[in-house]
Amino acid sequence: MSETLVEVRGLSHSFRLAKRLSIRALDAVSFTIRRGETFGLVGESGSGKSTLARCILNLCRPQSGEIFYRGINTCDRVQFRKNRELLQARRQMVFQDADASLNPRMRVESILTEPFVIRRIRPPRGSLRAEAAFWLHTVGMEAAYLDRYPPELSGGQRQRVAIARALAMEPELLVADEPVAALDVSIQAQIVNLFRQLQRQQGFTLLFIAHDLAMVNYLCDRTGVLCRGRLVELASTEELFSNPLHPYTQALLSAVPLPDPRRERARKAVAYEPGIEEDGVLAEAAPEHFVWRREADG
Amino acid sequence: METLLEIQNLSVSFDTPMGEVQAVQDVSLSLKAGEVLALVGESGCGKSVLCRSVMKLLPKTARLKSGRILLGGADITGYRERDMQRLRGKWFSMVLQDPMSALNPTIPIGKQIAEAVSVHNKKLPSGEVRRRAVELMDLVGIKQPEERYFLYPHHFSGGMRQRAVLAVALASGPRILFADEPTTSLDVTVQAQILDLLQEVQEKLGMAALLVSHDLSVVARIADRVAVMYAGKIVETGTAEEIFYDPRHPYTWALLRALPAFAKRGEPLFALPGTPPSLLSPPPGDAFACRNEYALAIDYEEAPPMFRITDTHFAASWLLDPRAPKILPPAGGEPLHV
Repeated sequence: MSETLVEVRGLSHSFRLAKRLSIRALDAVSFTIRRGETFGLVGESGSGKSTLARCILNLCRPQSGEIFYRGINTCDRVQFRKNRELLQARRQMVFQDADASLNPRMRVESILTEPFVIRRIRPPRGSLRAEAAFWLHTVGMEAAYLDRYPPELSGGQRQRVAIARALAMEPELLVADEPVAALDVSIQAQIVNLFRQLQRQQGFTLLFIAHDLAMVNYLCDRTGVLCRGRLVELASTEELFSNPLHPYTQALLSAVPLPDPRRERARKAVAYEPGIEEDGVLAEAAPEHFVWRREADG
Repeated sequence: METLLEIQNLSVSFDTPMGEVQAVQDVSLSLKAGEVLALVGESGCGKSVLCRSVMKLLPKTARLKSGRILLGGADITGYRERDMQRLRGKWFSMVLQDPMSALNPTIPIGKQIAEAVSVHNKKLPSGEVRRRAVELMDLVGIKQPEERYFLYPHHFSGGMRQRAVLAVALASGPRILFADEPTTSLDVTVQAQILDLLQEVQEKLGMAALLVSHDLSVVARIADRVAVMYAGKIVETGTAEEIFYDPRHPYTWALLRALPAFAKRGEPLFALPGTPPSLLSPPPGDAFACRNEYALAIDYEEAPPMFRITDTHFAASWLLDPRAPKILPPAGGEPLHV
């Protein structure tokens, strides 16, 4: 077994909507991400996937629980400040909507070199422009795009620029929050291939958040399923897709559209009634396969 | 069965400062009563323009160059806005991709549905309008419609909003429903619910539907027939079985191969090289030739005609010419993952 890169322990967070109304976005979530793996996180919208990603990257402060990154407790302010350089540069994020995450008034070159300017890092490839051109090339785009503005690019190209910006800091951990959800199927394939190829070259750890289970099945080594802020199942992707134990996972899998009309027409979606088990634990049902169960069963 | 809509050799162009953009080129298709036709292709291939040109909802820069649109046998090609007003609603309505921008955020959901009801039935008393709106909300699966009548769009989740939009579209009792990427902004479970709802409503009301999508796996469940579109042209059309189990056009192969359901873990996904051609000055020959690994020399010179495979299955590819080399289709059949 390889080394642990991120450890999440009992993470809870709720958003306050009104005086007496708050929503539990995360509820005692615990899991680990191993170095070099691709970890998939799936769940419906509103299940807390993005909140979890934001907590891991210190973009959101959890109410309780701890997150350890290479043994550093990132929720602890003192420890965070001490290791700020490492924590901020070595962990990067790619957002779903590249349209909103790239400044429309900055040229691609400035977007790609901004991390170097902020960190006062001398570009390893000579000039800032050469650096930007290098990373643009890494994601399969020509240097001619350096002087373009994001609105002039297509959706797939914008997502490539966002990936290049994240990779320019040579991160150890890359968090991709629904990076292909807004793209066409044919472009999705290009971007996913790019992730795979870059991961092989650069060896970063990838946290891949998606609601497209077919893509997660194809790409990820291990997968966790979030349901209403709770991690209900965690297993290797093959195990999870061949032997889903939690009713919510089964419901999710039954909703995946298949390019097969006969099977699709015969398929019955399994409905999941939430709130079956309120209190429970994440128990190991099979080796390396964890599922949320009532304590009495376990 | 009765043919509701027939499009014959339709070409639509946009006049831009850079020149003429040929968004739809020589497209023919037909839609029968009670049938679901899926229109599949990448963004920018002209799917939405085709839908909108039937409803005449195109901007002023658009020009209907040639072709005919027949609605229930009547030629509506030359219809003006006033004539179209009478057809819209009664004959067809549309569901758009983004439910948030299709609904007015300052008006309660029930009232928006009621508005659609009363616009098409001006003489209906207000109590009756309200009753009909509640009925529609019930039809599209909004539970407790009476209580939710006065809720605003922001109270609703994405899936619920899309249900409300569908209720608005159904208010006039259309015979054809255009659904332009109705599930793209929704996640998997909600998507499955909305597709099931669409099919249920379509069967219950006996409507015909034109479903536009970029994802072949989305349409597999509810489409009776599929038309694949590329660069403004329909390149293959057939029944769902024919398109999924026996695809003949290289572009259909590419769309299927790009789906992760057909890929082996650890092997790269098939990604179409390059980008769709500019519709500003389409290349001579087959527009797909430069991205097509099976392209023949003739593809670069002459656009292929529609070859007939069966009475329902047609494809525009020179590979179907009797003189072309035989190629084992790299796609089609059962997906690997379930």
